[in-house]
Amino acid sequence: MRGLQRRQFLKISTAALFGSLMTKLAAPLAWAEDFYREPPWKRKKPYWGFAVDIDKCIGCAKCVEACKIENNVPKEPFYFRTWVERYVLRKNGAVEVVCPNGGMDGYPDIEDEGGVAKAFFVPKLCNGCEHSPCVQVCPVGATYKTEDGVVLIDKDYCIGCRYCIQACPYGTRYFNPVTQTADKCSMCYHRITKGLATACVEVCPTGARIFGDLSDPNSALTKFREDNKTESLKVHMGTEPKLVYKGFDKEIR
Amino acid sequence: MKDYRHLIHVAATFVLVFVLFLTARSILKPSSYGKIGRYRAASVDEIKALPIKFAGRTAQKECAACHEKEYKDKASGRHKGLNCETCHGPAAAHVAGPASVKPPKPAEAEIVKFCLRCHAPSMAKPRKFPQVDPLKHNVGTACTACHTPHSPRL
Repeated sequence: MRGLQRRQFLKISTAALFGSLMTKLAAPLAWAEDFYREPPWKRKKPYWGFAVDIDKCIGCAKCVEACKIENNVPKEPFYFRTWVERYVLRKNGAVEVVCPNGGMDGYPDIEDEGGVAKAFFVPKLCNGCEHSPCVQVCPVGATYKTEDGVVLIDKDYCIGCRYCIQACPYGTRYFNPVTQTADKCSMCYHRITKGLATACVEVCPTGARIFGDLSDPNSALTKFREDNKTESLKVHMGTEPKLVYKGFDKEIR
Repeated sequence: MKDYRHLIHVAATFVLVFVLFLTARSILKPSSYGKIGRYRAASVDEIKALPIKFAGRTAQKECAACHEKEYKDKASGRHKGLNCETCHGPAAAHVAGPASVKPPKPAEAEIVKFCLRCHAPSMAKPRKFPQVDPLKHNVGTACTACHTPHSPRL
């Protein structure tokens, strides 16, 4: 009789322990629902993104010029919110990248064209990282990601410490000598919130740049991402860029 | 127990520093800081309010209201995909006040250079993109002598 009682006691106590453990486990699980598995544009509207079709870029750098005009970027050839690089991949494995004045002055002639495996233009701009290193390192909260997914700089709050310029893996930030603050591509936030496209997209003659709303299943950008195989820059860094490229090559840095 | 006054000094200093911190914080912290995230929410509206300089593709019908011929030529020609502002520059001010602000016309003397910005030959360009070698194709002649810029095909 005593043995049975002990067994019963063990049964009940184990059940009670298990039950309380499950309720304890379920509580943090409910809390974990704040961590979303799907991309943010599935629950936030609008959510801006960008794509570049390398196969269409002709390297005219009209985008660079338009960006400088639209956003009052200093005209000196060191300050760019967007720029166009020319890659020349040689058959012997050498890679040549040139970008004189962002591409606005044209590019030098390609020497020894017979030895070229392939050549193409790569427009660069802010990658709009989901986990942006520049936002993480800002000591004063002057750079941030808006609710619609654009990384912006608060010029009044920036102390000009240049830490974010160091942190950006894509080199898209520069120090604005006029405002004495960090500066970067704002995805033309003053335009896109008025229903216009970014200045670079407006002037691109070949449609190599695609801007749009990722949360809209019918936007040109969503269609572009669905119809093409795309790749982002430096995915190994875990920054999750919202800027994607079509016609990517492994030599693109 | 005679040492307890030291404790009061320490506590008083602590309270004073804390009050000073709170006062400094309330003065220095912008009112909209932290409303959305760890940043000044008002700066989003400040950036939104910046003026635009390019009128955009949606404004092309406003271009057509005055420049009807050019608009029709472009719509039927090979440059139909281009925004007017790709060649003519930012025109938001011109759309707002057509008489007061005139975008500059591409200079006649520089026209070859202007066209070559896009059409210069380069093996880095897509193969199908029309390219012309200025050293072989009618050297010294302005492109506009034969081609209409809005509908360039002959």
